[in-house]
Amino acid sequence: MANQLLEVKGLDVFYGDAQALWDVSIHVEEEAIVALVGANGAGKTTLLKTISGLILPRRGEILLSGESLTDLSPQEIVDRGIIHVPEGRRLFSDLTVLENLKLGAYVPRARPFFAESLERVFSLFPLLKNRKDQKAGSLSGGEQQMLAIGRAMMAQPKLLMLDEPSLGLGPILVKTIFELISTLHKQKTTILLVEQNVNQALKIAQQAYVLKTGKILMSGRGEELLVNEEIRKTYIGERGIKR
Amino acid sequence: MGDLGLIAQAFVNGIFFGTTYGIAAIGLSLIFGTMRIVFIAQGAVIVLFAYLCYWLFTLLGIDPYLSLIPITLFSLLLGAAFYYGLFKEAAALKDRIGSLLIAVGVMFFLENFMTVVWSPNPRGVVTSYAFYAFSLFGTNLTLTRLIGLLLAVLATFGVFIFLRRTLIGTAVRATSEDVEASTLMGISPNRVNAVAFAIGIGLAGIAGVNLATTYSFDPVYGFTFALMALIALALGGLGNVIGALLGGIILGLLQSLGSYLIGTMWADAICFGLFLLVLTFRPQGLFGRPT
Repeated sequence: MANQLLEVKGLDVFYGDAQALWDVSIHVEEEAIVALVGANGAGKTTLLKTISGLILPRRGEILLSGESLTDLSPQEIVDRGIIHVPEGRRLFSDLTVLENLKLGAYVPRARPFFAESLERVFSLFPLLKNRKDQKAGSLSGGEQQMLAIGRAMMAQPKLLMLDEPSLGLGPILVKTIFELISTLHKQKTTILLVEQNVNQALKIAQQAYVLKTGKILMSGRGEELLVNEEIRKTYIGERGIKR
Repeated sequence: MGDLGLIAQAFVNGIFFGTTYGIAAIGLSLIFGTMRIVFIAQGAVIVLFAYLCYWLFTLLGIDPYLSLIPITLFSLLLGAAFYYGLFKEAAALKDRIGSLLIAVGVMFFLENFMTVVWSPNPRGVVTSYAFYAFSLFGTNLTLTRLIGLLLAVLATFGVFIFLRRTLIGTAVRATSEDVEASTLMGISPNRVNAVAFAIGIGLAGIAGVNLATTYSFDPVYGFTFALMALIALALGGLGNVIGALLGGIILGLLQSLGSYLIGTMWADAICFGLFLLVLTFRPQGLFGRPT
């Protein structure tokens, strides 16, 4: 069995008095793609934010390669190699493409590798190289998503967490983003992927978890869940009806 | 209409005062941009540094421009201390009223502290060269005002370069735009906020020396100064360093020419009227892009 990179054990997370996650446990193996699917408000983003240290859990433990992250600040967690690309990309739109990438390599662990990381990002996204002095806000939606992922790659992630990378993009760009995720996977990046596009996500994921109202409803191999009757009915069949 | 020479004089004075408003406004802009704190005590802090400059001069005989070195170092440290000591907790809250109240508290404390230590009587730093002046196109430009103007312009470009060319400066701009996203880059908000506060108060140090060398000041003079800096900030647009300097210069010109051509009372009314007009019709400032 491959090594566990990330272990989340029994997380209970609250917003004030309202409980958002109930006893959530997930595992991410090294060099795997793990998908996190579920309806809006199921707690997927909350789980990513808790792993990033933006939200403190009331109970439970998060381990990276066996080391607890519980008492670490978000900055220290980034420095350990967990990089979170938030929903909506959240680029610094007044900063140039290159400045965004520089900040991606802000943490001490990533700084010495700046030049090689930059070269890697520019070879993944040649387009960004041509636009490096342009303001990030002036890029198109697809380019912005590429910059958001490129910025995360600048930090030399051990675990890359992508929150809804295909949201708001047209079909061709969605395909490009999923191809990109496969490429990163082949280059041995471990990925925790939150997606609305359940069908696509389950296709590329080795392991997947289904969250429902803050609890893990189901977990299994991607292709297992893909043929699961209940999943097809609730999350994939629904796509035709949902706008 | 008045005498052209006097108008030219008012023009030159306006530019000088404007640049000093400008650097005070840049400080406010940095502090507001990163922490959403309206640091209304900025003016009182400037007056405090003017008094320090006065003390160093009268007690120790240190030239005001030499005292710029210790005062700037001290003001940078004081800025970081303000953040870690007073504003760190309040800056993390969503509700901004706490930080505003702390700033008001700092202002009243400093005003009273300065009244006790230096008395309410106006003070000024009168050096041997205080009245040395150049004649330029029929106007008198005193050496101290010329140096003050140069200092303000240099400080502005210094901050501009710092924000553009250094990684921590880039991090300050990023945090002003999106704190959570910058946290996810591994940027510590506390570090960035402390840097922004240090530079903001550091600029107040330079403004304080400018004030001490060119004007007479008293403990409560700072409040008006802070209001003028706020207007300059509104004119220039938030987060725009050069814009804040230009906003300050426009304000300085308006005040100075207004005083000369219409009258002192009207000059202030015009400045505050302009403040309201800009906030109503161009909230992004004269040099900002609409968002």
